Amino acid sequence: MNSRESVLKLFKGEEIHRVPCFSGMGNITEEGINKLGYKFAAIHSDAKKMAETAASTYKLFGFESGVVPVDLCVEAEAMGCVINVYPNAEGILYPTIKEKLIHKEDEMDIKLPDNIASSGRVPLLVEAIKLLKADIGSDVAIGSYVLGPFTLAGQIMELNDLLKLSFKKADKVAKLLDAMADAIIIVAKEYEKAGADFITVREMGATSDVLSPRVFKNLILPPLQKIIKEIKVHSVLHICGKTNDIVTFMMEAGPTAISVEQKNDVAETRKKLGKDALIFGNFDPYNVLVSGDETLVRTTMRQCIDNGVSAVWPGCDIWPAVPPQNMRAMMDEVKNYGGKR
Amino acid sequence: MADEAKKKEIFEKLRNGVIQYDEDACKEGAQEALDAGIDPNEAIFDGLVSGMEEVGRLFEAQEYFVPEILMCADALYAGLDILKPHCKQMDIGVKGAVVIGTVEGDVHDIGKNLVKMMFDVAGFTVYDLGRDVPLDQFVEEQLRTDSELVCLSAMMTTSMVGMPKVIEKIKAKNPDCLIMIGGAPTSKDLAEKFGADGYAEDASNALKEAIKMVSFLKKLRDEKAAANK
Repeated sequence: MNSRESVLKLFKGEEIHRVPCFSGMGNITEEGINKLGYKFAAIHSDAKKMAETAASTYKLFGFESGVVPVDLCVEAEAMGCVINVYPNAEGILYPTIKEKLIHKEDEMDIKLPDNIASSGRVPLLVEAIKLLKADIGSDVAIGSYVLGPFTLAGQIMELNDLLKLSFKKADKVAKLLDAMADAIIIVAKEYEKAGADFITVREMGATSDVLSPRVFKNLILPPLQKIIKEIKVHSVLHICGKTNDIVTFMMEAGPTAISVEQKNDVAETRKKLGKDALIFGNFDPYNVLVSGDETLVRTTMRQCIDNGVSAVWPGCDIWPAVPPQNMRAMMDEVKNYGGKR
Repeated sequence: MADEAKKKEIFEKLRNGVIQYDEDACKEGAQEALDAGIDPNEAIFDGLVSGMEEVGRLFEAQEYFVPEILMCADALYAGLDILKPHCKQMDIGVKGAVVIGTVEGDVHDIGKNLVKMMFDVAGFTVYDLGRDVPLDQFVEEQLRTDSELVCLSAMMTTSMVGMPKVIEKIKAKNPDCLIMIGGAPTSKDLAEKFGADGYAEDASNALKEAIKMVSFLKKLRDEKAAANK
């Protein structure tokens, strides 16, 4: 059974021989970019370069998935935001949104453009998924991701205002998030058609570090449910930061699996959600994988497995500056230890 | 001079105004303080800041979350805007100028704004560079203003890695300048590794750190007042 079959079986809830090590979020490495000879800023606007770079983490290290996009601005851009890819940056800078769509409260009642599927880089992503799938799709599962409704709303309007309004004018925010859900569904459908095996919904902004579990339940959960219901391939719901108080709501959103980061006490989450729940996580991709040494990488992988993750999976994007020996140590440890549980 | 009972009532109004994110109460309280001849610095610290300290506690206890804190901050500013023009420059032995901003590649500025607020409160001159700030701009602004403190913020791991470069450049030109880094991906170890003097990992910590600093200033002020009696 190769990685692809094993990950797909995992999603279906079937027995597999060991815990896999993969991600549904960004995982390209400088090692991969440099071997290909590309400039980071050029990857975002070239389907071939994007797909090749995304495939390199599997090809170089045996990482058990291939994922595009690389940045977090696809949906906002397709809705009309201007992005900055920092074309002249010396090091690696991820694209950000330059121009918001909503500047004040009374502009929140937005009408979605009717051509989202063909706007911005959505067609480019479709092409990248197809290329990635043709390249390594018989070996590993192909993942793609969309933002969650709150996180997307935080990109198209001032996060500061959005947060205050989720408290003061919850109705208005709920309406906006519902529109965001519609936009996200359109993009997710395109990725699905292009051949993604699983789609991760990244709702980073709705962490319990920022929003109360009550607001999460009332405001964030309904549009998440709407999105996940429409995703027909396997889905993963990812939320960063503190999540122990909302993991039950995350499951209620209806994904195939949930993804949590290092701030989540996974042993407790496992106890709460039971043995069959798919919980992906939860190591710190920077402080362990990038700045830690091989020993820390290995002990952390064991900890994740001992705590009961269904797949070892980083808590966020893997930062490209990851030392190659740490990537190898991660894969080696999970392959050796992941079957012993 | 206002009598003690009246003073207490006004401070309470300012404090509760901040805690209950009631901008109008803070505006009223600030005006009442001025009308009653209360020292505006006292009204800021014993009223507004005292309220913000309680907000910090409520955040830690997970009774308040970020939306509430932002509303409390608005209320604090509503009072501060009225009181500040009447403040005499605090003589606390430090000049108090700070350069603050979110590093290039990052457009998140909530934590940065909360820290900025506490510096505003403390009477610092704040040079706010905003967000997505090219690294060299921090170095230039520090040199231009001769600020003794530089605060670098990053919410995303992906933007944090630019920090050591700035720190190195500033320290090379001005070894005495203190540097505080902040944002979700930062840690004590990382601050040390990057050569920074302090860190705050999230808005609550940033707020706590800044409150600590301001509380320290407040203590100095009280001691000075006691010595002058």
